[in-house]
Amino acid sequence: MRRFLGATLRAHGYQVVEAASAREGLAQASGRNPDVILLDLGLPDLDGLEVAREIRRTARTPIIVISARGQEQDKVAALDLGADDYLTKPFGVPELLARMRVAIRHSALPPGSLPAPIFQSGELRVDLIRRKVFRDGQETRLTPTEYKLLAALVRQAGRVMTHRQLLQEVWGSNYQEQGHYLRVYMAQLRRKLEMDPTRPRLFITEPGVGYRLREGESSV
Amino acid sequence: MTSRQLWIREYAWATGIIGLTTGLALALRPYLQITDVAMLLLLAVVFVAYRHRRGPAVTASLLSIAVFDFLFVPPYYTFNVHNAAFYLTFAVMLGVALSMSQLTGRIREQAEEASEREHQARTLYAMSQELADTARAQDQVAIVTKHISNVAPGQARILLDDEEGKSRFSRWPEDPVFESVAVRVAATWAYERGESAGLGTGHCAEAEALVVPLRSPTHVSGVVLVQPSDPDAGLTQPARRLIEALADQAAIFFERASLSERHQEARAEIQSEQLRTALLSSLSHDLRTPLGSIEGAASSLLQGSGLLSAESRRELAETILEESRRMTRLIANLLDMVRVESGALTVQKEWQPLEEALGVALLRVEDRLADHPVDARLPATLPLVPIDELLIEQVFINLLENVIRHTASGTPIRISAWAAADAVVVEVADQGCGIPPGEAETIFRKFQRSSSADRIGPAGGSGLGLTICRGIITAHGGRIWLEPTDGRGAAFRFTLPLDGSAPREVPAEALES
Repeated sequence: MRRFLGATLRAHGYQVVEAASAREGLAQASGRNPDVILLDLGLPDLDGLEVAREIRRTARTPIIVISARGQEQDKVAALDLGADDYLTKPFGVPELLARMRVAIRHSALPPGSLPAPIFQSGELRVDLIRRKVFRDGQETRLTPTEYKLLAALVRQAGRVMTHRQLLQEVWGSNYQEQGHYLRVYMAQLRRKLEMDPTRPRLFITEPGVGYRLREGESSV
Repeated sequence: MTSRQLWIREYAWATGIIGLTTGLALALRPYLQITDVAMLLLLAVVFVAYRHRRGPAVTASLLSIAVFDFLFVPPYYTFNVHNAAFYLTFAVMLGVALSMSQLTGRIREQAEEASEREHQARTLYAMSQELADTARAQDQVAIVTKHISNVAPGQARILLDDEEGKSRFSRWPEDPVFESVAVRVAATWAYERGESAGLGTGHCAEAEALVVPLRSPTHVSGVVLVQPSDPDAGLTQPARRLIEALADQAAIFFERASLSERHQEARAEIQSEQLRTALLSSLSHDLRTPLGSIEGAASSLLQGSGLLSAESRRELAETILEESRRMTRLIANLLDMVRVESGALTVQKEWQPLEEALGVALLRVEDRLADHPVDARLPATLPLVPIDELLIEQVFINLLENVIRHTASGTPIRISAWAAADAVVVEVADQGCGIPPGEAETIFRKFQRSSSADRIGPAGGSGLGLTICRGIITAHGGRIWLEPTDGRGAAFRFTLPLDGSAPREVPAEALES
């Protein structure tokens, strides 16, 4: 896996530092100051989650977690710990590169900086300043909660957001047990903004983890 | 009512009736001949003899003779008799009382016996009926205990052999009933000899409980122990006979249950053996084929790097990609199967719209679905369902892959769902060649591929998809089946029960101005 990733990423012009164990990885992470860290949760010497926590203690370096199918709880835990994104094995190279680009771009923004005022992806356009949402150029009216949810996703466009993070952001900490609120509002958003709500193109479900708003190629 | 109270009552009745008749005769004395009085008293005696046992009947007859002699036979108010003919009357009265009570006693005994037999038959029938309806050994023991304790007020216990067929009596249950040494001795005796022992029997009669062995035709599988709430009163003969009959009946049921259990275990063993064999042969075939292609394509790429055109290189790489994806799916299926089989399938239900799981599934098989127009419209009014999204998504994926594999390209697929009484019903239907009648159940079995599957191209299914679906749906408390279609196509339906506490209602909102 590491060999394949190393070769692929070098071929795409990245400089790659490899580490075979958690200890080595932690040393490299603080010593080489990378732009992005790919972290496999299945490490020989230490729990991958521990590594994520350790890195987050000192640095904001984006972390992309790599794990197998069926480890959804670990992924969620890693994301809630501050990992930026995840990939499920087996994954394709384009997917990996896209995640890395998003993660690096988000980390390049200084903390607390405002997102771009206009978000565009496919037929969806969101004007964050005038709080207006357009589908195919047509203004679509949302309820306040629908808009809050949409705005939360737009701020983190391209990145996965866990159920917990979204519930926290939109409803606050008292609603952690009300996961169906999020799902119901997500279904409403899809019905209003997706061409075919049963085959979402924008509001992507990350099964067992959360949601991701697909970024448009032309996003500003 | 105790037997002593009953006894007093019977005699009081006898005396009362004679007293009443005497009163009547005294009142009517001016109009009656002495023979009429004798007849009247005789009638009273017959009545008592008919209603009661011999003791009260004889008492009534003696009483009536005394009253007759004292009050009605001259000289009055003495027991002297002038006319010797009256001695004959006395003898007749006594004789009638005795023979009547003899007769009615016999009838009563027969009636009692018949009603006991009827009661016994009814109890036996009721118990067998209940036993026949239950399969779990634990429930069967509870049923037998209940019926036996109904026979006699007190406590009933059942001790059965453990699974290895060894007697439990080396370790007594912690139960006050078994604290008495005499009871333990009686229980051991009954178990070893196969005969009743303890209270009211010839063996270990000093025990506070009756112990009846559970005898089946082949062996004694345990004992039934009955401790009446009043050990001094003991158990009546009919009660004991009924308990023995119930125990015999129960023993047959217990033996049948343990035999069928053993039979099932043996069958499960054979099945898992067959599964392993099938798994190995399936693995060697299904995994070797894609592996062969991958190895071949990769080695061509390595060796012939200079000779291959860009297009062939691309083709080889695509082969590798495609075949490894196939292997990934197969291995995922096998792992799912192992989880379903081993019972390690944990369902983490959350209330959610079904749409989401379906959406993910449709995206996951999107590239392979390209040739199949999918009509998937779930009504917006469909209630939230409590499901494990990852698992239900897998069900959709397996059903869709099933259609992709077994129908010609271009075959449309229709996915629909609706709310039933306490469940949501989902249907995945295609317009393919359908599934031959008679295979509606077998297709859900492991490694079973529909006989029609071979007609369309290389199937390449593992024969596990539907088995996994059934495992997942069953774990959700639902059902999955092949809906009969008249004519073309196959339609799979499954239910997702809306059980558990419904989630808090999501408040509705007005649109933002």
